[in-house]
Amino acid sequence: MKRLFGILSVVIVLSMLLAACGATPAEEPAVEEPAVVEPAAEEPAAEEPAAEEPVVVEPEAGKTVLNVWSFTNEILTMAVAFEKTHPDVDVVYTMIPMTNGEYQTKLLATLGTDQVPDVVALEAAFVKSYVESDFLADIGDLQVYADELKMYPFVYEVGMADGVHRAYAYQATPGALFYRRSLAKEYFGTDDPVEMQELLGDFDKYIAAAEVVKEKSEGNTYMVASNGDFQNLFFANREQPWVVDGKLTVDPMVEKMIETVKTFRDNGYEARATQWQEGWFAGMNDTLQDAAGNPKKVFSYFLPTWGLPYVLYPNSTSADGASTTKGDWAVIEGPLPYQWGGTWLGVMEDTKQMDLAKEFIRFCTLDEENLTNWATGVYTNEYLKAIDPNVPDDQYQAAGDFVGSQVVVEKITASFDDSEMSNFLGGQNSYGGFAAAAPSVNARLMQGSDDAIQRALNDPLNSYLEGTVTLEEMWTLWKDAVRNEFPDLIIE
Amino acid sequence: MLKKLKHHQYGYLFIAPFIIAFLIFSLYPVLNTIFLSFTDRTLMSRTFNITWFRNFQLLFADKTFITAVKNTWQLWLMNFIPQMGIAFLLAIWFTNVRLNIKGVGVWRMIFYMPNLMMASAVAALFFSLFSFYGPVNQFLVRSGFIPEAIDFIRKPAIMRGLVVFIQWWMWFGQTTILLMAAMTAISVSLYEAALVDGASTMQMFTHITLPLIKPVLIYVLVTSLVGGMQMFDIPYLLTDGRGSPSNSILTNTINMYMKFHSSKGHIGAASAVGLVVFLMTSIVALLIFFLLREKKEQPEKQGARR
Repeated sequence: MKRLFGILSVVIVLSMLLAACGATPAEEPAVEEPAVVEPAAEEPAAEEPAAEEPVVVEPEAGKTVLNVWSFTNEILTMAVAFEKTHPDVDVVYTMIPMTNGEYQTKLLATLGTDQVPDVVALEAAFVKSYVESDFLADIGDLQVYADELKMYPFVYEVGMADGVHRAYAYQATPGALFYRRSLAKEYFGTDDPVEMQELLGDFDKYIAAAEVVKEKSEGNTYMVASNGDFQNLFFANREQPWVVDGKLTVDPMVEKMIETVKTFRDNGYEARATQWQEGWFAGMNDTLQDAAGNPKKVFSYFLPTWGLPYVLYPNSTSADGASTTKGDWAVIEGPLPYQWGGTWLGVMEDTKQMDLAKEFIRFCTLDEENLTNWATGVYTNEYLKAIDPNVPDDQYQAAGDFVGSQVVVEKITASFDDSEMSNFLGGQNSYGGFAAAAPSVNARLMQGSDDAIQRALNDPLNSYLEGTVTLEEMWTLWKDAVRNEFPDLIIE
Repeated sequence: MLKKLKHHQYGYLFIAPFIIAFLIFSLYPVLNTIFLSFTDRTLMSRTFNITWFRNFQLLFADKTFITAVKNTWQLWLMNFIPQMGIAFLLAIWFTNVRLNIKGVGVWRMIFYMPNLMMASAVAALFFSLFSFYGPVNQFLVRSGFIPEAIDFIRKPAIMRGLVVFIQWWMWFGQTTILLMAAMTAISVSLYEAALVDGASTMQMFTHITLPLIKPVLIYVLVTSLVGGMQMFDIPYLLTDGRGSPSNSILTNTINMYMKFHSSKGHIGAASAVGLVVFLMTSIVALLIFFLLREKKEQPEKQGARR
């Protein structure tokens, strides 16, 4: 008996030790114990060996400190510009990458502790869950500025829950369709954006065009690179949100999306690449090859505003420089209006600098001069260095980001007629293209649980496309996955 | 103050750092997890309710959880059994006096090497190799083994096999070293005596080697079990972090992390998963100790060996 007890205690201690090691992700963010939660603001650099280095600007003496957290170094530019108009303020900017969700994890872990920043940047995938949470302050008094600047409604609607404004964005991210001019000429006899919009104006037309592309290229050109490209479009055009009265709801548009991607897969209109993976990028610079080494082309990509300067443009030349598609692109509204991504700014309710934090958000998102400077390339590195000499050498904002204010957009569109991006689009004014698409975007259906619910569909959908499960089984798999992540949701 | 301590009490001082660290960093989190598992706490709201066993009820009604438990056992067993087999074989070869293999140190190092690589690097490597436009497909198609590219990443059996292979490949070196250490610790005179008595190699293995390395075997078995039940990094990083395709490589810990990381951060529900896994691991580990207990020896000795 004594021996058994000895073994028992050894086992319990050992397994507890090891089990506790593995269980930490669930426990660390426990709010009762702020001492265990890491002081993330102080040393993210030590732990995140990610591609992008976190930037932490040290506070200066004698100034009011405003803590801002973000997942890119984009907003640092505005933070520096803010210090120019507010010389008594020191914005302490902390960048935590979100490559593998580090940013969300850090932010979740600080909620309700005294480590929370004053202002947080929130990405489209998770902005809504914060807007719906108990932790963002009501900043509705800024709405007057938003009305004045005629912000696109979907931009501030995303930041609203139960009629309360909790976040604003400086950019609008309407989606568009980018296509290859040379291929359009070859298959449709025209590369003119107006005529192409006629040809691809709704999904029936788009599918018919995919057949034309396949036939005329003898299967060597795909209409799209991946089935993931479609999803945002259909999700954005639903009539019901995913969750209605606590119940999981499938809008007919979702069924239509599944039908469409199945058509594309079965008919070989889709290159079967994966978004953000090798093959998807290879199509952008015409270096896509199938496994046998045959060259393949991709006719069109669904990308939003930021997709042009940050995704399509940098990937339009192959790594060895031998193949480029620069100047061979054009942009149209495409078959359906949608929006994709974007960065919102909110104030943490526990902040001790409420007024200053609100002023920072007003400046970043609802200030005509700032937005104009932001979009037209005024914030060069020299400009920022003149304000704060410690700004990194690669910190600047190139012209071309699409801002959320119609007033500003209308004023500056003409200035992009001869920009680098417009040359990239064969002379088409990209800003004008986005301005045409933006007003029809609707984001009223967005909910905090969207991202997780949509992600849960990816794997069952791909299994269905692959033919390993039936349509029926796909829905069951998806519902099981959703149930797993949302224990309180009613699922039939 | 030290003077007041009697000589034999100094030991307490030496173990104090461990005990204190254990209480704060292991016992407290475990107790807190147990508490959380009885609540509906999420990270996104300031208030929460005690819901007692509701989390567990939902958990056992949830097919995904059952799949995850099954997967975890399958993936662990499928990599542990061949791992032990190969490790035994290698350990016996390397320690065999008659074979007298040269360069044991070099071999040992080569076998241990995969264990030194970061799990993320290994996962990224295999993901790129097996992707639709990746080199494995290129090689197989261009050399005519298959007519057209296969989407390996979307084939449940292939991804499961990959996880098993990677786990095996990363850990068999470690197990080999442990078994070798145990085998070399056995006195050569025992084998000599057996040889004089005319014992065969097989008899020597079952009657001398196996009984004497049993404590190490138990150690390997239990640590591998605990590690296997918490398998996370490779299956998490290999595909989309959700155990795709078709939940085929969804493990307990990925499941727990998904609950924690969902848009609301359901830490109550995640803790319930953690607790069930913890109980399951403890019970099985106890069972292993019980079944493999040494019937004649003193319990202290067993403790000391480990």
